Amino acid sequence: MLEMVICGRGGQGVVFLTRQIGQIISDKGLNVISSETHGMAVRGGSINSHLRIGDFQSPLIRPYHADFILSLDESETSNNIHFLKTGGIVVENSNKQSNSDARRINATEIARNEGRAQLENIVLLGYAATMDGFPITTDEIQRQIAKDKRDSIRDANIKAFNLGVAYGAGATSVT
Amino acid sequence: MTNNPDSEVRFLMGNEAIGRGIIEAGCSVATAYPGTPSSEILESLTRWKKELNHPIYLEWSVNEKIAFEVAYGASLSGSRAAVAMKMVGLNVASDPLTSAAYLGVRGGLVVVVADDPGPHSSQTEQDSRFFAWFAKVPVLDPGTPVEAREMAVRAFELSEKYEIPVILRPCLRVCHARQNVELTNPKEAGGVGPFKKNWTRWAAIPKYRFVLHGELNEKLNKIRTEEPEAHPKLLLGTNGNKLAFITSGSVSSHVRDIISSNAQIDNIDLYKIDLPFPANLDALQAIVDGHEQTVVIEETYPVIELQIANRTKTLGRLSGLVPDRGELTPEIVEQIIGSVCKVETAPMVQPNIKPRRPSLCPGCPHRSAFYLIRNVFDKAIYSGDIGCYTLGINMGAVDTCLCMGASVGMAAGLSKAAAGDESAKVVATIGDSTFFHAGIPALVNAAHTGANFVLVVMDNAVTAMTGGQPTPATDYLADGAPAKVINMEKIIEACGIGFCEVVDPNDYNQMKDALVRANEHTYEQSAGVSVIVTRRPCVRMPGVVLSDTRYMVNDDCDRCMTCIRDLECPAVSFNKSDKKVEIDEDLCAGCGFCVSVCPSQAIEAKGGK
Repeated sequence: MLEMVICGRGGQGVVFLTRQIGQIISDKGLNVISSETHGMAVRGGSINSHLRIGDFQSPLIRPYHADFILSLDESETSNNIHFLKTGGIVVENSNKQSNSDARRINATEIARNEGRAQLENIVLLGYAATMDGFPITTDEIQRQIAKDKRDSIRDANIKAFNLGVAYGAGATSVT
Repeated sequence: MTNNPDSEVRFLMGNEAIGRGIIEAGCSVATAYPGTPSSEILESLTRWKKELNHPIYLEWSVNEKIAFEVAYGASLSGSRAAVAMKMVGLNVASDPLTSAAYLGVRGGLVVVVADDPGPHSSQTEQDSRFFAWFAKVPVLDPGTPVEAREMAVRAFELSEKYEIPVILRPCLRVCHARQNVELTNPKEAGGVGPFKKNWTRWAAIPKYRFVLHGELNEKLNKIRTEEPEAHPKLLLGTNGNKLAFITSGSVSSHVRDIISSNAQIDNIDLYKIDLPFPANLDALQAIVDGHEQTVVIEETYPVIELQIANRTKTLGRLSGLVPDRGELTPEIVEQIIGSVCKVETAPMVQPNIKPRRPSLCPGCPHRSAFYLIRNVFDKAIYSGDIGCYTLGINMGAVDTCLCMGASVGMAAGLSKAAAGDESAKVVATIGDSTFFHAGIPALVNAAHTGANFVLVVMDNAVTAMTGGQPTPATDYLADGAPAKVINMEKIIEACGIGFCEVVDPNDYNQMKDALVRANEHTYEQSAGVSVIVTRRPCVRMPGVVLSDTRYMVNDDCDRCMTCIRDLECPAVSFNKSDKKVEIDEDLCAGCGFCVSVCPSQAIEAKGGK
């Protein structure tokens, strides 16, 4: 049983991340249910997805129940922090340093250096996947991303993902 | 997950699961008008059709009423048919639905109506199960995407067995949930044989309607007593506890998860009804009579609760236990369960949420159109409509929003009733899809009766808010096949409008001049309604090429805030620490309209482009 909130602004790829993670878990034969935000809210508004792995019927997470919060925008972290359980982990796209509140990576800058700021969600996923307790492995995610038939998008996603993984490996070796 | 070689498990959205169920059931015709949270049903059908090389006919209809009628016609000609819409769409389709309930169907007819408790993306929180009761048709209420697929198939069977339209009512939390869903192979598209003439049924006059009403009541009584889905099923418990919960639909999933995850709660019998109308009345009353207390938790109206004849031992919305509005989130459900079971639950969280205000996208052609409308008409009354462009509220260019197409009808009334304020001007705005949906009859009415207002039809070539579905002005159909393009200007002209100009809203002078001429036509010459069509494609559509040019604010900026306050582009912001206006390159779509807006001419292209 594991519960995860993914949040950000409209256009940052919150729904894409949720689908990728959910599909990998589904392929592993585990039960998974998630919720997405559509419609009015996607026009630059606040977006969050809930993802629950295990024997759940409801797609929504209650406050104090999330094991992970993946945040693509620091201002959205505070809008979702009430979902985090004691001991849960916040993984945040931010230009600030990691501390006891959140493990941080400047995914936007890393993605922009790759030429596409939109890759920030994949960079963040790479970083999150290096953490203890994350429900899927870097290998599993790489295999999922590699399924994309569009060459240039697939290659860019793999590279961005690996940059996030490398950042996580570096962060681990430092601390 | 499964050993069946013919099946496969996929992580599907509820709406995709419904689309899959429709195609697996051997449906031949499916229609829809887009609307959150229902839009992905027909969208997914276009993908299933392609993937399975299935012959199903798919259509984005002009509105929900027509979508219903096309599907109904297909049913009478013997095919299985489906129609999908959001719940306020059912208001538009209510006329054919209520009549079709009397006449009945031939091929199975499934009406998928997506509800939006909250509401998150809608005008009301109406409960389509209640509408089903009003129209006297059965309604299935799925709790998860997995159930939604199964019930879509089941709905066709029930519809054909009883010759009655069947509503499938998923809530937002089913439509936009994703779950691993097991697929099966589609049934061959079947049928019950070609249309058979019988005017006493298919064109029944009132005398025969009375007879048909009796037949309809008979069908409902049979469904109520004979179909297993109308009978509450025990999900948790023993049937012998003192406390019973009865629930249905997506909220049943929250109830089940909360009760089964709390070890302190072990004295509840939890029942779920898959077919909340017409529910099995005896079975419902037996639960109530057999328990010391029964709690009914359902969204959004007390449909099950009202079907319990003796409610003296019942708690729910009518008793005040369950809130009378808003989505029943897991937190709220937990509080309800905790209070009834006398179990301590986590206190309700009052999160400090600062949601980001939704805004028109950077580069959106509606933004430049609204800016110029405000620029020319200033303090006019702005009659708005339903679509992305309702966000013109942010720019002070939308004062009203009622329902699809109401901008035009209301503008006529607003302008006629402007007694005591002769200077009051009215400017209505409506999108292209909404204009085709319900704006045209209102424009005929306005022209015929000599109403006086300015109408701006914001034509971005798609139904943008719901993800970019084609409109009658698009040259392709739902499945990509070529379509006859309907010329909007010719329609406007044929409605009796003497002033109709088409402009590019990003061309500052062209659009402003047209607005000035419209003002002359309508308000200086009192020559009736003038219409301006602002034509530029939605920036989010694939194939729309955006400029790479990026813009910067130079030192001529005197911080007048016109660009931030009046243009309201998400890419432009004021940096409080530097006290400078900035343009975010990642957000900017390169439209360059801000250059025309700046009174100090302080916005320029980077690199002198």
